[in-house]
Amino acid sequence: MTQHVLAWLDERLDISGLRAFIAEKTVPRHRHSVWYYMGGITLFLLGVQVASGILLLLYYRPSAAEAYESVQFIVSQVEFGWLIRNVHSWSANLLILMAFVHLFSTFFLRAYRKPRELTWITGVLLLFIMMGFGFSGYLLPWNELAFFATKVGTGIAGAVPVVGDFMVRFLRGGDEVTGATLTRFYGIHVAILPAITTVLIGVHLLLIQRQGMSVPPSVEKRAKAGEKIPQEPFFPNYVLHDVMWWYVALAVLAALALFLPWELGRKADAFAAVPAGIRPEWYFLAMFQTLKLIPSHIFGLEGEMLGVMGFNVAALFLLLVPFIDRKAAAGAPSRIVTATGILAVIYLIVFTIYGYFAA
Amino acid sequence: MVWCAWAAPAAAQTAAATECENCHRGQSDARLSTPARDFALTDVHRERGFSCVNCHGGNPNEPDKVKAKAPSTGFKGKPAGQMVIAVCAQCHSDGTLMRKFAPKQRIDQAAEYATSVHGHQLAKGDTKVATCVSCHGAHGVRLVGDAQSPVYVLNVATTCSKCHSDAERMKAYKLPDGSPLPTDQRAKYETSVHHTAMVKKNDLSAPTCNDCHGNHGAAPPGVGAIANVCGTCHTVFATKFAVSAHSQIFDRSCVECHSNHAIAQPSDAMLGTDKAALCVTCHSDGDNGHQAAGAMRGGIEKLKAAIAHSQAIVAAAENAGMDMGSQAIALREAGNQLTLARTEMHAFDPKPVEAVLQEGLAITAKIDAQGDAALAEMSYRRTGLAVSLGAILLVVVALRLKIRSLKHADE
Repeated sequence: MTQHVLAWLDERLDISGLRAFIAEKTVPRHRHSVWYYMGGITLFLLGVQVASGILLLLYYRPSAAEAYESVQFIVSQVEFGWLIRNVHSWSANLLILMAFVHLFSTFFLRAYRKPRELTWITGVLLLFIMMGFGFSGYLLPWNELAFFATKVGTGIAGAVPVVGDFMVRFLRGGDEVTGATLTRFYGIHVAILPAITTVLIGVHLLLIQRQGMSVPPSVEKRAKAGEKIPQEPFFPNYVLHDVMWWYVALAVLAALALFLPWELGRKADAFAAVPAGIRPEWYFLAMFQTLKLIPSHIFGLEGEMLGVMGFNVAALFLLLVPFIDRKAAAGAPSRIVTATGILAVIYLIVFTIYGYFAA
Repeated sequence: MVWCAWAAPAAAQTAAATECENCHRGQSDARLSTPARDFALTDVHRERGFSCVNCHGGNPNEPDKVKAKAPSTGFKGKPAGQMVIAVCAQCHSDGTLMRKFAPKQRIDQAAEYATSVHGHQLAKGDTKVATCVSCHGAHGVRLVGDAQSPVYVLNVATTCSKCHSDAERMKAYKLPDGSPLPTDQRAKYETSVHHTAMVKKNDLSAPTCNDCHGNHGAAPPGVGAIANVCGTCHTVFATKFAVSAHSQIFDRSCVECHSNHAIAQPSDAMLGTDKAALCVTCHSDGDNGHQAAGAMRGGIEKLKAAIAHSQAIVAAAENAGMDMGSQAIALREAGNQLTLARTEMHAFDPKPVEAVLQEGLAITAKIDAQGDAALAEMSYRRTGLAVSLGAILLVVVALRLKIRSLKHADE
């Protein structure tokens, strides 16, 4: 019976061709191979987000009057609702952490060099999208901390020259953070960003499949010198490795949900005093803390505006790294690029910790 | 022509400088120049078109001072004593006139003043007592709601204490029992819960001197009126106290336990049978009052302990990630019952107090049961997650072993 079904499908979908392709596909194996799995973990966590997000959608109500109560209902009344919300919240944070790890491992292994520039660009865009998911999702429970953090966060957009005021109103759906902002963020979180993500992920995975795994320049150099780079079968060896790391991520998620349940806090009240310790999610803390430290005016220009423009330039630099680092394409190491990357990592870690304790 | 108060402006518009002001402002004697300057700066009367002559008489258009103050001009000079009251009352007791400027304002200040201790003393010829200008000022008069007015709610105690804290000034006055009039009222008031509420908590509805003593009719509340005066704000307490046995016995009603100017934050320690309690100053071991005090205090302490216990359970469940929103609301309701018991206590009857306390205890018992259930559910969840975590880690180990075996097979 099974054979008949497979034969029927084979006639229509060329499954035997796919099976042959998978059986023949190999992945390079070297001492940096472990970093390959970071992308897989990120993808797995994205899957967790999609699944848990869809479940939350069944009960969540996106309005200022009902959002908080609906999340309260999910965590207190819905069977395993507490688990789904905990997993969604923790997985979101782990996803962004792993996206950063994946990005920096790719950066330091120079995997962005020709011909993989587009893979890098789609990856960087995906990281920005993931941060957008985090920013928009943070407001959805409509609690006090999220409300005021969103007020501060959207207010920062106002520092962008020329279009700042428009951006603030566009993000907020008005001059202030209101129920209109919540509805807007909800639409962005569950429709616009997922649509863009689907396209970018598709292109990203297609390019990886098409171009194969990149090997670090040092390994490539040995290959060019005639040394044979060990390969391992994609299936089952690499897939099993991937699955093992997914299970590790799942274990971390379960442990976090077990020991550190995600708090709901108090319902947002626009007329309440701003609570102490208002700060954005950890992945925006470094930027937030930097903006706090920048003097109000530098050379007659607004400090916050300069800071925001600086971050935009940094983001553009990150996006265009494959075209800036010309040496990498030739297989030669660039000390400036490596030093810049190390400084960026140190800056992000130090300012995130500083921002956490300073707030 | 007589220039008098009856030539009051018809509409509110700032009065132009008169010859009186022109001349007085240039005087080297500050007693003559300061009133003119103050009047020209901020004065509610000037802003509404009144000028010097409305209170002092005289001819405002005459630059010659002798002619300006001629008897034919109705010149009064500086009003003093009863004349101050009469000068102010000529407008402030005139309903037709006041309606043009402040239709809602009362016009019985002079009548009230006549009933006050100040008014009685003035009628006896004592010109040291306060008149209108002592509190409101004479020139540069501001509206009562103006924060810089001496009678603005936050400034009343300072204004009253200008005289009442002056021991030298007050030594001529005695209380009805012949004892010296105290001068420590302000110092005591500043230690009170009322002062804290007003100054530190910015509650402008909290009482200051005039809320208990009256303002224009200022006098100490009579012995029989204390409960009524306190009851203007503390309505429920006054109602409970009115039906109590103590209302028939306490000469100074509320003041017997709470004092007057130095009213401290009430505490449960005031009730009961231990040494710190006020009840034992009259009641001794074994009498009905002693037993009632012990029973009421014991009940209140029991509910306080029950609320603290429930709070601990709710906090523990919340810390464990459980939603305890409805229990937190119920806790507030239990707190309300405690407040209600403290209120009910002012009838000094243990039965209604006990009934209220029992309602509070029933609420805390329910919270405890729900809190325990939440903690049990949390424990169940943790066990479930721990088992799942174990299963996941087992799969990780199995996968690791499988990968190793594949690697060996490849080699």
